[in-house]
Amino acid sequence: MPRLLLLLPTRTYRAHDFMEAAGRLGVDVVVGSERKQALADQVPGRTLALDFRHLQDATDAIVEFAKIYPLDAVLAVDDDTAVLGAVASEALALPHNPITSVTATRNKHRLRMILAQAGLLSPPFSLFSIDDDATAIADQVPYPCVVKPLCLSASRGVIRANTPDEFAVAFDRLSRLLRTPEVVARDDKLAEQILVEGYIPGTEVALEGLLVKGELTVLALFDKPDPLDGPFFEETLYITPSRLPESVQQDIAACTAQAARAIGLQEGPVHAELRVNDQGAWLIEMAARSIGGLCSRTLRFGTGLSLEELILLHATGADVGAYTRERHAAGVMMLPIPYGGILIGIRGQEAAKQVPGIEDLAITIPLGQEVVPLPEGAQYLGFLFARADTPEQVEIALRDAHRCLRFTIDPK
Amino acid sequence: MLTITETAKQKIQSVMESQGRPDDGLRLAIVGRRASSFQYSLGFVEEGQEAADDVIFDAGEFKVFMDANSVENLEGVTIDYVDDIQGSGFKIDNPNPIWSDPQHAAVQELFDTRINPNLASHGGHVELLDIKDDRVYVRLGGGCQGCGMVDVTLKHGITALIREEFPDIQEVIDTTDHAQGTNPYYQPAKG
Repeated sequence: MPRLLLLLPTRTYRAHDFMEAAGRLGVDVVVGSERKQALADQVPGRTLALDFRHLQDATDAIVEFAKIYPLDAVLAVDDDTAVLGAVASEALALPHNPITSVTATRNKHRLRMILAQAGLLSPPFSLFSIDDDATAIADQVPYPCVVKPLCLSASRGVIRANTPDEFAVAFDRLSRLLRTPEVVARDDKLAEQILVEGYIPGTEVALEGLLVKGELTVLALFDKPDPLDGPFFEETLYITPSRLPESVQQDIAACTAQAARAIGLQEGPVHAELRVNDQGAWLIEMAARSIGGLCSRTLRFGTGLSLEELILLHATGADVGAYTRERHAAGVMMLPIPYGGILIGIRGQEAAKQVPGIEDLAITIPLGQEVVPLPEGAQYLGFLFARADTPEQVEIALRDAHRCLRFTIDPK
Repeated sequence: MLTITETAKQKIQSVMESQGRPDDGLRLAIVGRRASSFQYSLGFVEEGQEAADDVIFDAGEFKVFMDANSVENLEGVTIDYVDDIQGSGFKIDNPNPIWSDPQHAAVQELFDTRINPNLASHGGHVELLDIKDDRVYVRLGGGCQGCGMVDVTLKHGITALIREEFPDIQEVIDTTDHAQGTNPYYQPAKG
């Protein structure tokens, strides 16, 4: 049985789905996390505490571990562990993406430079320090523009500004977020800089893909039917298959493949965000991991394989080229957070689950805890999942189910 | 079969009257087993609202409705009310073994000695609910309920330890309603 080290931050949304997948496939998984598991001392060889902030220390620990428990693959499931996955794989002479390539996906500015140099459609962009005076630099950026952190994920800290006044407010707001204890604790130099780039109008999509020897296979293309025009970019609906014209879908796939080549990614899952307009497809972001949150639960392949099973099979050397996504349409709604406060009640969950096409509802913030909307928020309120014959039916199901839900949030 | 001390009876009646429910009965059920003791549910129930298969014990001043699945393990139980320097509350003395079946008892021993003391460091615990054929049914609580890493704890901790000592066990089934967890030890977040 192959043994695989799964790098799972304790704050990941992905633990359940990867552990289930490993169990179904019979893959012997070792879990590497930044904190020691409660039963680690009782069951040696199954979990490993790793200092994710110090790559060399973590890599050394993995190499030592592998001397006792040989590893066949190292798989990072989240952004936070992507670079460690590549560095550790190299140290163990296991298949992996080039370290420089994975590092580039973790730095939005470096990614922008690579894409522009490769001739992909790119907006104008500039890099600033969080210490810069926003008012003083407001005349150095294009309008409308978007301010972005280099290192956060899932639209955190991303703000659109249409005027110099809006820019100053957005820049200062992002600077404050990057100085919060939670971000500072990451000990990440990238948190000291802010990327400002021209706003790209158009329709946004997400592409889920798998790279095998540098060749991209598109596993799913998700439409995002809710407008994402700013000022904040809270993602809600992801629906697949895409309803965009076939030629546009081909452009999106070609742009993603070209971007992966430019970055140098070779193996494993990729998640890309793109915008499409009259000029073509624009790559917004690319990550060397699979889709985040619980969104992968929309995807099934072949006779019912999950995305995580597919990724684990690939990581252990299996040929997964024959697997294609199921015929049904599917979608997820990342439940929008209406406003901040303490979540004290949720009504309508049973009614939402009864809506035809709805498969599941998962609330991921416990009652009694704080909910924080974007751009500062770091947690999803929850997820609705639907499956139906067509993307239109999926979208209707998700919207109808969402209308059943009533969240009581105490703004204090 | 059940003994309720006079002190306990007086306290129960006093609470019933203070809550304006003097005609209610007392409902008693075993809801779990942890740290070598039973976990109980003790509350008031309006006559007629008890479960259809509840076993009724007439305590004189009021009736006690005993959960049918718990009756066997309530044989010989004494309910007392204590009020001393350590605090006040109902005290239930139960002479029955936590599990009569040796395998159940052995798994419980594993939980009590190796698993729960470690889960406690994360504010969590696991209860053995039952063993049927080659399946162990458990419920997680405290910091484990709704924890983002609970699958790792379950598969690479609890299941691994159970199968190490009891190789015939094929599966550990988690019956926890994780959505109801209010204080999970690890909570997921975006990167």
